[in-house]
Amino acid sequence: MAQEAQTAAPLLEVRDLAVTYRSAAETVRAVRGVSFTLEAGQTLGMAGESGCGKTTVALGLLRLLPVSAKLSGQILFKGDNIIGMGWQRLRSVRWAEASVVFQGAMNALNPVRTIGEQICEPIMLHEKVGRRVAEARAADLLDGVGVPSRRRASYPHELSGGQRQRVMIAMALACQPDLIIADEPTTALDVIVQAQVLELLTGLVRERQISMMVISHDLSVLGATCDRLAIMYAGRVAEIGPSREVLGSPRHPYTGILGRAFPRMGDPESRMAPAGLPGEPPDLRGDLSGCPFAPRCPEVIDACRTHDIELWPAGEHRESACIKVLDSYTAIRADQATPAGTRQVPLHDPAGSELAGPAGDVSRTGNPVLEADGLRVVFPGRRGRGPARAVDDVNLTIGRGEIVALIGESGCGKSTLARGLVGLVPPTAGEISYEGAPLRYDGMTLRRHRRHVQLVLQDPAAALNPRQNVFDAVAEGPRLHGMNAGLTERVHQALSRAGLRPPEQFIARYPHELSGGQQQRVVIAGALALEPSVLVADEPVSSLDASVRGEILKLILNLRDQLGLAALIVSHDLGVAWNIADRVAVMYLGRIVESGPVHEVLLRPRHPYTQALLSVLPDATSGQPGRPLAGEPPDPANVPAGCRFHPRCPRRAALPAGDEQAELCRTVPVPVLPAVARDSAGTSQVACHLADSGVPTLVEHSGTAG
Amino acid sequence: MTAATSQAPAATAPPRLLALRRFAREFAARRAAMVGLGILVALTILALAAPLFIHASNLDVVNAPGQPLSPPSMRFPLGTDYAGRSIVPLLIWGTRPSLAIAVVATALTMILGSVIGLLAGHHGGTTSRVLMALTDWFIALPTLPLAIALAAVLGQGDTSITIAIAVTSWPGTARLIRAQTLAVEARPFIERVKALGARDSQLVIRHVLPNVAPFVLVSGTLTVSGAIISEVTLAFLGLGNPTDVSWGSMINQAFFQGAVSAGDWWYILPPGIAIVIVALAFTMIGRAVENILNPRMARKP
Repeated sequence: MAQEAQTAAPLLEVRDLAVTYRSAAETVRAVRGVSFTLEAGQTLGMAGESGCGKTTVALGLLRLLPVSAKLSGQILFKGDNIIGMGWQRLRSVRWAEASVVFQGAMNALNPVRTIGEQICEPIMLHEKVGRRVAEARAADLLDGVGVPSRRRASYPHELSGGQRQRVMIAMALACQPDLIIADEPTTALDVIVQAQVLELLTGLVRERQISMMVISHDLSVLGATCDRLAIMYAGRVAEIGPSREVLGSPRHPYTGILGRAFPRMGDPESRMAPAGLPGEPPDLRGDLSGCPFAPRCPEVIDACRTHDIELWPAGEHRESACIKVLDSYTAIRADQATPAGTRQVPLHDPAGSELAGPAGDVSRTGNPVLEADGLRVVFPGRRGRGPARAVDDVNLTIGRGEIVALIGESGCGKSTLARGLVGLVPPTAGEISYEGAPLRYDGMTLRRHRRHVQLVLQDPAAALNPRQNVFDAVAEGPRLHGMNAGLTERVHQALSRAGLRPPEQFIARYPHELSGGQQQRVVIAGALALEPSVLVADEPVSSLDASVRGEILKLILNLRDQLGLAALIVSHDLGVAWNIADRVAVMYLGRIVESGPVHEVLLRPRHPYTQALLSVLPDATSGQPGRPLAGEPPDPANVPAGCRFHPRCPRRAALPAGDEQAELCRTVPVPVLPAVARDSAGTSQVACHLADSGVPTLVEHSGTAG
Repeated sequence: MTAATSQAPAATAPPRLLALRRFAREFAARRAAMVGLGILVALTILALAAPLFIHASNLDVVNAPGQPLSPPSMRFPLGTDYAGRSIVPLLIWGTRPSLAIAVVATALTMILGSVIGLLAGHHGGTTSRVLMALTDWFIALPTLPLAIALAAVLGQGDTSITIAIAVTSWPGTARLIRAQTLAVEARPFIERVKALGARDSQLVIRHVLPNVAPFVLVSGTLTVSGAIISEVTLAFLGLGNPTDVSWGSMINQAFFQGAVSAGDWWYILPPGIAIVIVALAFTMIGRAVENILNPRMARKP
């Protein structure tokens, strides 16, 4: 895929780019000494965690940064230096020659103008053509990105998230640029839509011979779409090279850790052992000599802190900023009197083991601790829409000390189900029971229920009251329940159980002074302070960085092992289930369509929807994008008759027209799956008419991409 | 890591005190705010201390020392009024009812507006509809006739002016606080607190109120200047205590004694300028407080 045979000058060459944000109070060196080249027709992925400078580099390429940002170095685009370019010339380069697909299509589109007008705008501006020509081009572009061209009179809010992102791509293509910069193009999208958008983007770029630079925090996305990959850490490139080699045999320890953060299904190494990285990225305000990754590096040696770090050649077309790749590495290492720096990152938190008390051997069998029986939550219709059946007859059990993952696309009702289990959403029908006792919705019972069943939310920054410090945030639960005796000890214990040690160092801090991972630990500590027996976590890691993700998952696993805490983990990410769950339930349009032990459901999926979810996971090492499911995510206000999945079902679509089976899917509802306790669940259960009919499944990848 | 080092000394002091200190530091850095505060402090001291250095007999119409409506002179730096009283002591004494009424009326406005706004925002549904209908009804009522009618029912005097101002100015605050309550309650940390088992009252008092409090404060400082002007208006219309000296009643007397047509500027300008200065001082403080407390206006780190 990599086009090494290029002889002409590269389309884009960045030399020693540095971006510094200067304000009266401080100087932040967001990007330092970044160099790379991008050949015509090539795609380069840039990966890294939040704050590593990847978006700054991307926007800096077209000088789209705020005025407080000072650029230095060279950005040679077709031989011209963009940094020294006059405004007139820069304006003509922007969009006509290099365009941007922004993150978050809802905010990047103007809500008061139709998408047609917005696509026409750059065409008319740059090519000085009339409205009619521009509109014809816009219609072509929309067709090209798979949005029906009759939708061009629509406003952004009338389109789905995936369609909006397609419109953004159409806009970026409008002036036939030579370079497209895509900044987190799929981050806010569902897995299936993400796969659709990626497939579109890579297809278009290949077909039109456009160069592309994709920014993402998700290595698997980049591995599947890009020829070359650059990994950034703390404003520097840590490693750069052909995608497959970088991911397959990393030459920088950080790359390896990032790669392992998104596990492959069936990989025994990541099962019950999420990969994470303790510590925080360095502060870009300070002096940064030596390797910026040294404080967190599992293979650090003393020389890392003193040696000047630059990108060294590390194999064919590869460079790495780790001194391991130096020829002199063995010599450097041998020089050190004590190679005491080497420290292994333990799979399980070592400090946690000291907490393992009598609670450590809580029996994981026995009666279910939390149960939903025929649970149904219907939200009243609004503005001419029918009532939304968010949760529609769900049976689910969580055993003592069991971790259950609930997987599904957004809008499938998984968050509503989670809130129902905590008692935040009263059910329309059905029952929640805790330890066999049904939950009644009066004040006293609810409050007691909420002591036992605690909620952890997606975005920890928003889940903490900004006016409360850590102590008050954790003490909130006990205070609300009048448990004021021994409050300080209780808070300290909860904080250390959540991995914030020593607690004294954290109690006086405010949420905005903590990193995302620390904030999520505070939220978890707040739940632990009530000594619950079940934790319901709604996307607990989806807003966190890759290295932190593993740390939080490890924490949940540790809490189960040491305190016997059961957990329901709601996620769109199958990797989370593979990482820590015992059992998994897949939800589609208000129903659970498949449930069973993780090994069964994820490795031998039987429902076509589960198979589709698994097949869209971009396979980073094979360089193959996943195969998306057609169609838009379903609407709970408009549930299809028969099997809810039948309009999108590839297995049904594969049947010959007028087939008896296909008719069954269209008209006869699938029976609701009964709740199954973990002990009896050796195999998975599936709600599909065609589950065992021998129709070929989707999981096997075909040889060609897309 | 940086947070750990920069916050280490902070760990000893209680957080509220810290927040207060930070607020004070930012406030002190703004010149307009300090000027406004200086004016207010000076005027408050003047108002409180007035009886100590200006005897009440200076306000006596019967024993007025000078000729009626004489222009400024050495003896009367700002001239005299229709009865021959010196304007300067009148002006200083007039500070007392003007400031008192404005502050008390504002406090009432804030309490009424916040309670109604919080209730409407938190409960939603029928409660919200009823309360907001009531608010809209008060917004639609013309302020002056209502105030006049109220004063007529309650009788002339400071109390009726205070109540009239509070009754007519709370709807704006209620609307603001309701909107902010809705915004705060939509944030996930409210859901977390509910999941922790909070009752409605705990939720509102411990979590919603502290988060809308800055808006109450800002709205309050901006309401004070309006209240001062309302007080002057109502006093000017003759709804105040006729025996009391306030800036409004001074302008009222000047007007009815023909100071405007006679060109007796010293009678009508000083209370007018005093009103402008006080209203301005409150506005300057209000703007500064708004800038400091509103996170969207705060400096980006």
